[in-house]
Amino acid sequence: MLFKKGSITLLDGAMGTMLQSAGLKPGQLPELLNLTQPRLIEDIHRAYVDAGSRILYANTFGANPRKLARTGHSAEEVIYAGVTAARRAAGDSGALVALDIGPLGELLQPMGTLAFEDAVSAFARMAVAGEKAGCDLAVIETMTDLQEARAALLAVKENTSLPVLVTMSFEANGRTFTGCSAEAMARTLEGLGADAVGINCSLGPMEMAATVETICRSTRLPVAVKPNAGLPDPADGHYSMTPEAFAEAMRPILRMGVSLVGGCCGTNPDFIRALDKAVRETEAEKASLQAIPYEPVSFACSATRAVRIDRVRVIGERVNPTGKKRFQQALREEDMDYVVSVAASEADAGAELLDINVGMPGVDEKRLLPMAAQAVQAAVDLPLQIDSTDIAAVEAALRVTCGKAVVNSVTADPASLARVLPVVKKYGASVVGLTLDENGLPKTAAERVAMARRILEAARAAGIPREDVWIDCLTLTVSAEPEQAEETLAAVRAVREELGLQTVLGVSNISFGLPNRVGITRAFLLRALDRGLTLPILNPNQREVMEAVAAYRALHGEDEHCACWIADFGEETARSALPGKETQRPAVSASAAATLEEAVYRGLKGEAAALAREALAATPEMELIDGQLIPALDRVGADYEAGRLYLPQLMAAAQAAQAVFEVIRSRMDAGHAGQLARGRIVMATVRGDIHDIGKNIVKTVLENYGWQVTDLGRDVPPERVRQAVEETGARMVGLSALMTTTLPAMEETVRLLQAMANPPEIMLGGAVVTRGWAESLGAHYAKDAREAAKVAGELLSSL
Amino acid sequence: MPSVIDEALRYLGAPDRETRDWLEALAEDTETRQAAQPRWVFAESPLSAEDEGFCLTRFGLTLTGRTAQRMLADCESTALLVCTLGHGYDRLIRAAQARDMRRAVGLDALGSALVEAACDRAEEELRSRHPGLYLTDRFSPGYGDLPLSLQPQLLAACDAPRRLGVTLTQSLLMLPQKSVSAVIGLSKHPQQARIRGCAFCAMAQNCAYKSNGGCEAMNKSIQL
Repeated sequence: MLFKKGSITLLDGAMGTMLQSAGLKPGQLPELLNLTQPRLIEDIHRAYVDAGSRILYANTFGANPRKLARTGHSAEEVIYAGVTAARRAAGDSGALVALDIGPLGELLQPMGTLAFEDAVSAFARMAVAGEKAGCDLAVIETMTDLQEARAALLAVKENTSLPVLVTMSFEANGRTFTGCSAEAMARTLEGLGADAVGINCSLGPMEMAATVETICRSTRLPVAVKPNAGLPDPADGHYSMTPEAFAEAMRPILRMGVSLVGGCCGTNPDFIRALDKAVRETEAEKASLQAIPYEPVSFACSATRAVRIDRVRVIGERVNPTGKKRFQQALREEDMDYVVSVAASEADAGAELLDINVGMPGVDEKRLLPMAAQAVQAAVDLPLQIDSTDIAAVEAALRVTCGKAVVNSVTADPASLARVLPVVKKYGASVVGLTLDENGLPKTAAERVAMARRILEAARAAGIPREDVWIDCLTLTVSAEPEQAEETLAAVRAVREELGLQTVLGVSNISFGLPNRVGITRAFLLRALDRGLTLPILNPNQREVMEAVAAYRALHGEDEHCACWIADFGEETARSALPGKETQRPAVSASAAATLEEAVYRGLKGEAAALAREALAATPEMELIDGQLIPALDRVGADYEAGRLYLPQLMAAAQAAQAVFEVIRSRMDAGHAGQLARGRIVMATVRGDIHDIGKNIVKTVLENYGWQVTDLGRDVPPERVRQAVEETGARMVGLSALMTTTLPAMEETVRLLQAMANPPEIMLGGAVVTRGWAESLGAHYAKDAREAAKVAGELLSSL
Repeated sequence: MPSVIDEALRYLGAPDRETRDWLEALAEDTETRQAAQPRWVFAESPLSAEDEGFCLTRFGLTLTGRTAQRMLADCESTALLVCTLGHGYDRLIRAAQARDMRRAVGLDALGSALVEAACDRAEEELRSRHPGLYLTDRFSPGYGDLPLSLQPQLLAACDAPRRLGVTLTQSLLMLPQKSVSAVIGLSKHPQQARIRGCAFCAMAQNCAYKSNGGCEAMNKSIQL
């Protein structure tokens, strides 16, 4: 094994700093020097070998195909030269050569525009080239986005047999720029199969110590630490720490039991020499070594939210089409906005993990499940539980799900174990094991516990740690099988107490078919929690159920000084539920509205929905829309045009109207819902442009007027727009651009659409677009959302 | 922070009292305050006049075009600035767009105002580091004829990807979105404000306020 705990291996120091002192200007690609000045590179490596470095990072940090695209050189060529220079410097010293992989320089979705698989391909080319060039290992470093680190690690593991060390850059608050915590990093990357993890760059040794400690507690793997030479001077960016001070500041970190140390920006061979001395002295004083112990804990995380399963955690169950017509319709239309709105409402109601299920007849889960996972994680920061029986769909979703996810589920059936566990292991997920097998669900608690044991053993054999095995003893409907509730509860207790595993239970199923379901559900939930249920799957939007969870926590010592309970219920007005938190949103106006029209005009969402429900008892749907909703929207629009209302009020009114539409939709069956649809409009922010709020404003208002919007998002290539028009048969396309530099892409899109056999109407908007320019292209112009609704109405109604 | 609110209201085009109260509450919201983490980095360099324009000798970076020519005419050195509210604020806007577009619209305008305010604070820091020198207005790639294609070098000179987490898309736009990159000249002589006003604004051709006297007049009407 290349990396091992219990001894310290010396890495090298900075390459960039050395090259800059040799005259490299910022902005020039240092990796090209592998081709133009290989001797310079080799000499720097040799200086590190002489200083004691045992692992050399080849000068390949930015040698990825995306950064090299405009240089006329290939990644393969640059990497070969870089690895060769390091290899020559290593000579027969025994020092190893690492392929160094840095960030691609472009942000991945959802923060940026780079697709996950495009990032994986770019990293894969580097990894393959590095292995061919003869490097001994791969190092992925200076990552700030956990998703990019995942892409790089998967690329190395899937395409080479190189051992791989991954380090990310953390700020003084213990998080990366993109909000990833050290614990989330360590647990996610260990799960994905890194051979060592750690931290580099950004801070000096002193500022890093606390984060290093967290990493040591969060992984069984060897830990690497490569700090900068202190903090840079704010004026000129230079580092001023001396090699001796650096080595001295590293001593507390060396005593934590880290395994790989070196220097990053601002360090040079003198730093490595001083560090080497400190390492040898620390190893000599073995008695004083107090290695930080690893803390095994069940854990899940997203890109930015870490959830330790150290107390009861609620898994939201509502992203699931079973028995929900509206959800099914959304999936058929691939309306991810609706899926995300359900997920967001669960998160806001206090869910701490979200189950994601899109399984229903006629749906291509392998395509839709990753799509849903990506859409949800762009707007909701909770860890995801990927729920499907289609293992290909599970794998596709796990790939793009950032952080440490959960797979729901595997059974004790050997075929299921063989199919599911390797995927769980590869992506470092946790797994929910259902206590049933090919012969069905056993009737007794003892048999279920035996199955849990079988699942645990198989998982351990597949290399999955026991804290990642969560057992679902299965809730049966009490009205159908009254004696089974007790068996389930007994099994939960045994799994928790005898096996020490996390327990999952979909509690709502208990009350199926009964009146006042929530009463039964809540009582069963409380009993199960008392028996050791740690992960109830439930509907967090049911206040009574979430109250029970909150009460259990208070009574069970999981809510210190009842602080959460008091925060939730201390005020009469508290709407929120409970384990989570809902921030008070400033309201436009507090007083109540008397009519639906008034509620919509004033943007009172809850009231508008309530008034609509009341009105629908006596008024047909279409009459409500034509008689009250549309007049209210027209009044809002007219007042907006006249400057009596402004954009925020326009949006508030639009959302109130949307809430009314949702009420109406939920009452209509799929056939009648078709009446609501006036026609389809495809919308996109053009290629190269990342500003999408303007487009989203227009979308919100267009939907109010009954248009169905297919939203392609931002940075959309012209061809994708054309394709969407073909697929949907949309008669209109709305395009947005905010930057002058993206106007050519807008023009290209317009031309492409106009060349179609049956071209759609085209409407353009955005800060830099003018009426004259739009009309010169033969397109329509809308200066704002209100005008867009008018233009759509005039053009499409006359068709 | 009255000026940030005024600025945000101007972006929203909403001078009314109701929106102001709402926006003030939004700005004070804990989530907003936690998400906005302004940071900035300067990179300073002496200037030398070359045929194609002023060259920042420390970075081998030449600023072409009339805008830079006029702005830096009187300067011995220059500071490049990259300033950002960070990824947390982008995430906050993204989360709001899935829940409440009105809130998203408010956060977007507020973010633009907050990052400009952070740039003002950064300028104060620069000024205090150079007593006796005067700052020109800050100007950015993409405005006037200073090309957007300078962005990669400007960000690299500031080491912005590593020190701030600010990166570029293929089309040279910055992420996080609430980020500003700019050039500021440093001179021994007092510098007049040159680029305030409609003539220098990229939005001028489409501006809703221009016919009413532009932003300055709009600001006054807000304060009334």
